[in-house]
Amino acid sequence: MAAAAAQHLSGHDAIAARYRDVDPVYGETRDIRLLGFVFFLLSDCILFSSFIFAYVYLRISAPAWPPFLGGHQLPWFDTSFAAMNSIVLFGSGVTMHFALENWKHLNKAKFNGWLIATIVLGIGFLLGQAHEYSVVGISWTGTTMGASFFTLTGMHGFHVFAGVCYLTILGLQANRGTYTGSKYFGLTAGTLYWHFVDVIWVFLFFLFYIW
Amino acid sequence: MQAGTSTTHEAHDAHDHIHPPPEGFVRKYVFSLDHKVIGFQYFFTGLLIMFIAGSFAELVRLQLTDPNGAIMSHTAYNEMFSMHGTAMVWLVLIPLVTGALGNFVMPLQIGARDVAFPWLNMASFWILPVAALILFSSMLWGGPHAGWTEYPPISLADGTAGALWCLAIFTIGISSTMTGLNFMVTIMKMRAPGMTWTRMPLFIWATFATALMNMVATVALSVAVGALFLEHVFSVPFFDPARGGSVVLYQHMFWFYSHPAVYIFIIPAFGVVSEVLPTFARKPIFGYKMIAFSSMAISILAFTVWMHHMFPSGIAPWLQLPFMILTYAIGIPTGIKIFSWMATIWGGRIHFTSSMLYALGFLITFTFGGLSGIFLASVPVDLHMHGTVFVVGHFHYVVAGGAVMGFLAAVPYWYPKATGRMLNERLAQLGFWLFFIGLNGTFLPMHWLGLEGMPRRTATYAGFAKAFPDAVFWNQFETAFSFLMAAAIGLLAFNVIWSLRHGTLAGINPWGARTLEWTISSPPPYYNFKKIPQVFDRPYNFDQPLPYRNTDNELDEFPEFGRVLMPIPQPVGAGA
Repeated sequence: MAAAAAQHLSGHDAIAARYRDVDPVYGETRDIRLLGFVFFLLSDCILFSSFIFAYVYLRISAPAWPPFLGGHQLPWFDTSFAAMNSIVLFGSGVTMHFALENWKHLNKAKFNGWLIATIVLGIGFLLGQAHEYSVVGISWTGTTMGASFFTLTGMHGFHVFAGVCYLTILGLQANRGTYTGSKYFGLTAGTLYWHFVDVIWVFLFFLFYIW
Repeated sequence: MQAGTSTTHEAHDAHDHIHPPPEGFVRKYVFSLDHKVIGFQYFFTGLLIMFIAGSFAELVRLQLTDPNGAIMSHTAYNEMFSMHGTAMVWLVLIPLVTGALGNFVMPLQIGARDVAFPWLNMASFWILPVAALILFSSMLWGGPHAGWTEYPPISLADGTAGALWCLAIFTIGISSTMTGLNFMVTIMKMRAPGMTWTRMPLFIWATFATALMNMVATVALSVAVGALFLEHVFSVPFFDPARGGSVVLYQHMFWFYSHPAVYIFIIPAFGVVSEVLPTFARKPIFGYKMIAFSSMAISILAFTVWMHHMFPSGIAPWLQLPFMILTYAIGIPTGIKIFSWMATIWGGRIHFTSSMLYALGFLITFTFGGLSGIFLASVPVDLHMHGTVFVVGHFHYVVAGGAVMGFLAAVPYWYPKATGRMLNERLAQLGFWLFFIGLNGTFLPMHWLGLEGMPRRTATYAGFAKAFPDAVFWNQFETAFSFLMAAAIGLLAFNVIWSLRHGTLAGINPWGARTLEWTISSPPPYYNFKKIPQVFDRPYNFDQPLPYRNTDNELDEFPEFGRVLMPIPQPVGAGA
């Protein structure tokens, strides 16, 4: 009955109807899993904030920043390259948004295109980070600047890498029929995760390249 | 039925298909997804590690019977007290109060069939033995030496053992975080229909507050020990002053978790006491909302007081004052609870079962520990006493006299529900007196020894004993009494195993308690609730009928309190 009603609707109303009229067991577990996933992201957020606290603490209490190593002051980071790389990562957030929207509109071909674009941009960001690491000119163990920089961006890079793997799996699952037009919690979670990784990068970019 | 307007109730109806219980030993008892079995697993693992960590404590006490050190080298002594603290905090207390009690009781009290993520729950448990193995294997490399806090730079001298310590704590931190997340979602989403926030049992409020802290604070601990691990293994200079690092930074990161951690142990104990006192005083809990909200207030304030552990570490004076005031402030919600409990038993009809004895003992010892905490909150007093055994006395009064007491009150209370048989009451009461007397005998003298200046964490105290000759007598006194506590725990373990076979049959509701777990059979069936009950009121109004409908057992089948244990004719107000 509900499915029949949904056929008369179009666009966002149809999406809302499909979301709402999914069978109650799925609806209930979806809400539970969504809350659990949001809490997971919250605790992940605290993981980053604790390291950010350490970085801010060390930077504020340092006599000079960038710190001196062997009598020479270390160079600042190269903001322009990181800015371009950031645009790649934020762009992948946009493409991911379109991927999920197309899935909701039952447009599988476009979903696949946007998802592949997201994965490619994510890999591009990782390659950019690899380049950044090779040219940055400081070491992980030399100073607190290197310690904070490599630990935080490394952790973020690991999250991006995990996200790329996650999105690849989601793409395979979606094409194998794991998700439908009304049951697509996994895709929602993947999108949330990907946006979360983007938002963390906003903070890291500000803290290392702008501040 | 019109789809799309499904309320919580209908959603539960949709969930009414019951999964069959698993078959085969491994699925049933080892890698079980059932929250009750996982609760038992936590219970027995925690108890086993408690024996190991407790015997470390007894070795520490034996060493101090002689001011020159009676039995071991200084290095071995450092290892013993470090391992005692580490294992007791992370592998005993947190698994027992959140893992065992939370897992077994919480889904039953909210009328759920399991926790939200059973698989995650199983994973959380199985991380615990792995972490325990990593921690105890560090003793093969000499073990940690810098106390349970492992402050750098001292801990950096531990080498491999220190790295293994970090790894163990990091792993157990992940387990705690996952448990916290799981419990938060379970309590927020899976309560029985009609159980609004202010109709939840107080143990659920306590579990919720604990889960919140577990989820938020434990990650900060993981980061602290993770950074220490990086420093151990890859020489990353977070805490190395020679390369711009800061040792005080570790203390900040460590205590940002570890202060909430003490509330992670104690708040479930608050929850237990809030269940036990009204049940055995046969009176509604006094100040339900105040107790519930004070649990939440504590869990939030707990994040704002961490620097009071660091007054002597050279933090700025302008930071000391606000942290001193905030530390006093956290005494307010705790005081609200103490007074509410006293008002609950005031004029009640008190049944001195072993649970009730533990709960009353908790009121005494925990309040005492809280008061010595108020001493230590004051900056000048703390600077004087921070390095003395006064701190040890205070901490053990709140932890052994608070968290462990609360846990020991919970064991006889929920044992009948868990196993279907009563715990042997005589042995349990004997255990209480042993524990209570042993606890006070062990930790009370530490207060005046600490005021006289006896240093903590030292293998010998010959210099102090010269200045204060009574110290030797009091240390031997403490050691003697500490064995009473050990005997009490041994007795409990014996009792738990003996009663499995020989205890009196318990029936559905041996205490006449009113929370939801007492409406189903003992032990509960695999699916807990055949029908998901409807809740109409909070559970503490002892003079009214039970506020549930659609329960698995008819309400008038409930036995009166004391049918099994003691000949008390009628609870207050029932029928008379």
